[in-house]
Amino acid sequence: MKPTIRHSLLVTGLLLAHAAFAQNVPDPVRGPPGDAAHGHHLFLTVGCYQCHGTSGEGGGVFGPKLAPDPLPFIAVDHQLRSPAMRMPVYTAKVLSDQDVADIYAYLKSIPPSKQPDQIPLLKIQPQG
Amino acid sequence: MTDRRMGRRGFLKGVALGGVAATAGPAAVAAQTARPADPSAPRAPGSVSTAAESTPRKHEQTYDSCGGDYMVDVMRGLGIEYFAATPGNTFMGLHEAVINYGMLGTPKLDFITTMHEEASVAMAHGYAKIEGKPMACGMHTAVGLQHASMAIYNAWCDRVPIFMVVGASIDASRRKLWVDWYHAAQDGAAMVRDYTKWDDQPGSLQSWGESAVRAYQFAMTPPYGPVLLSTDTLMQEDPYPGGRAPAIPKLPRLVPPAAEQSALEDVARLLVAAESPVIFADRAARTPEGLKLLVELAETLQAPVCDSSNRLNFPWRHPLNQSQRQQAVVAQADFLLELEPGDPFAVSAMRAPDGSVRSLMKPGARKVSISSVELFMKSNYQDFQRYPSDLDIAMAADAEASLPALIESVKRLLPARRKSAVAARGAHWAQAHHEDLERSRQAAVAGWDDSPISMPRLCQELYAQIEHEDWSLVSGSSFQSRWPQRLWTADKHYQYIGEQGGAGIGYMAPATLGAALANRKHGRLSVCINGDGDLMFGPGILWTAAHERIPLLYIIHNNRSYHMEIMQLQAIANRRQRGIDRVHIGCAIDNPNIDYATLAKSMGVYAEGPIERPDDLGPALRRAIAVVKRGEPALLDVVSQGR
Repeated sequence: MKPTIRHSLLVTGLLLAHAAFAQNVPDPVRGPPGDAAHGHHLFLTVGCYQCHGTSGEGGGVFGPKLAPDPLPFIAVDHQLRSPAMRMPVYTAKVLSDQDVADIYAYLKSIPPSKQPDQIPLLKIQPQG
Repeated sequence: MTDRRMGRRGFLKGVALGGVAATAGPAAVAAQTARPADPSAPRAPGSVSTAAESTPRKHEQTYDSCGGDYMVDVMRGLGIEYFAATPGNTFMGLHEAVINYGMLGTPKLDFITTMHEEASVAMAHGYAKIEGKPMACGMHTAVGLQHASMAIYNAWCDRVPIFMVVGASIDASRRKLWVDWYHAAQDGAAMVRDYTKWDDQPGSLQSWGESAVRAYQFAMTPPYGPVLLSTDTLMQEDPYPGGRAPAIPKLPRLVPPAAEQSALEDVARLLVAAESPVIFADRAARTPEGLKLLVELAETLQAPVCDSSNRLNFPWRHPLNQSQRQQAVVAQADFLLELEPGDPFAVSAMRAPDGSVRSLMKPGARKVSISSVELFMKSNYQDFQRYPSDLDIAMAADAEASLPALIESVKRLLPARRKSAVAARGAHWAQAHHEDLERSRQAAVAGWDDSPISMPRLCQELYAQIEHEDWSLVSGSSFQSRWPQRLWTADKHYQYIGEQGGAGIGYMAPATLGAALANRKHGRLSVCINGDGDLMFGPGILWTAAHERIPLLYIIHNNRSYHMEIMQLQAIANRRQRGIDRVHIGCAIDNPNIDYATLAKSMGVYAEGPIERPDDLGPALRRAIAVVKRGEPALLDVVSQGR
């Protein structure tokens, strides 16, 4: 199964589980209200940027791109609390639910990137 | 012997004799008179007192030949161009011969001054990966070899030839000072024997010559590796025995070991019959010819190639290059050919963070390796990696030497009816390569204007300045998330030389300089992107760069930390639910930030930085490259994202 398909199924499953069991909980896609400025501060102080870059742009194999256009909140929250692969686990003891909401608000606030064709240094012609 | 040498030694002789006449005092005279008339006469225990014994070097104070000159001639005969060393008294005899004989003769053997023995060996490591042959390094048996050991281990793991001459004060009765004892060892090479290919301690000048040629032969026969000659201090200093230089042994043409023909024929049959063959190349292209052969094999089969990036085995923008998605490519293969795999287990396996492992191979898929490492391996250090239990054929041979016969068999066995299917396979992989490139471009835009500067921005700013030059990227790229491989065009063997080998930090800075030294005579533009932590293992290499006028653009990927470790520490701290607000301790390189530009300038290197705004990069790169084109090193300190 391709990673993208697997990822889509995971997110769908999480959304369904959320719909079935959760009441009075944040919007699973957009997340709870959060303070983007505080989220930015947390992003730079609790270690996110080390692997994901200061704007969530990603750091190669060690940290995938997070922004712009982050995954649904519930997927990000799940990855923080029960991470797949090598990412550190962030329990509520070290990162509160509100902190997570703030970080997510920061990720959502990151503006879209330019397109590669708008950047002269990324105009690359394939060979062959 | 030339007139020039006679003149030099004769002059020294005259000066030295005059000096002895002027300074010999009563004590020296007394010591002379206290000696037994016949020093070879039988003696009773205790009859030789310390007072009566003086150095047995009662020969003349000057002489017209020395073992060191012979050693220089042997090394020159082997094609060795450079002798890198931090000076040490156990190899002063050779040092003097290199600077006063090797550097002034033809062919020239140049002395490269380093500030650490690890730097000498790592420079030789980088040099060999460009030039395809070893350079020499000199060091003490004890304290020098101890310094050099990490670099030797990297070279061993990376299968790179290094020629080391280790000064050894073997005859204890002829040691002069306390320091000679500290610097002596009964078997100094033992310390690094687990990760050197061969060593010897020749007992005479003639046997030194033979051992040197033998050592070179071993170093340059795949698998390549570092070799070491423990070399008696006095053998370097003393005149030729009998007044004549020993003969210099002949180095034969070295023929690398190719795989057995019938086994290659079997592999060729499997390759042409496979629906989805995949080639994995690690340290496969020892030479530029290896790259051409791999292209020929891949194009004949229209098979995808995954290049580990330990060498430039395969052009980065070739449509069959599928290195960016190796696991997916291996997972769909029905035949996997591994060429010189450093970790044959991991090529077709996925390791989960919890330690569990699963095979990537489809049921029934076949896997074959051609590896020279299986011809020569040692047991203590575990660089042979986990045993690959899914291997069907293991050929102990040099991959590059085996490729011509394999290609010939594949071409002969490939039936005409398969050719359209093979062409369709090529089109499929070309499309996949194009999609990979597009994904990389899309990924590169995120954080493009960020400060600290993103890795794709840094790499593309650099590439824009060198794209039309004859460039050579002499650093690794794993710490830069392989952005050069993802976005640049590279199709020459010297354009990329891979990583450390043993993952020992401190390699990059000196190895890049060694590679730049090799590139100098070819007029290539050497560039590197190296971590800040790596440079600080031995920043004295910057002085060597300036002193030896080695043109190199040195870009510091300054993420102000030992970044790999900070990520691992985060994972551990959070698993223990203690938070990660203290994990910078021991990993961050800040407070204060190091001013690398000032550091470099203090050693005579042109430098700029810290550069924090991405728009400042292009102009700074242009200024620095202009300096490098004048034949000098230049450093740019670029404050960058972690990866």
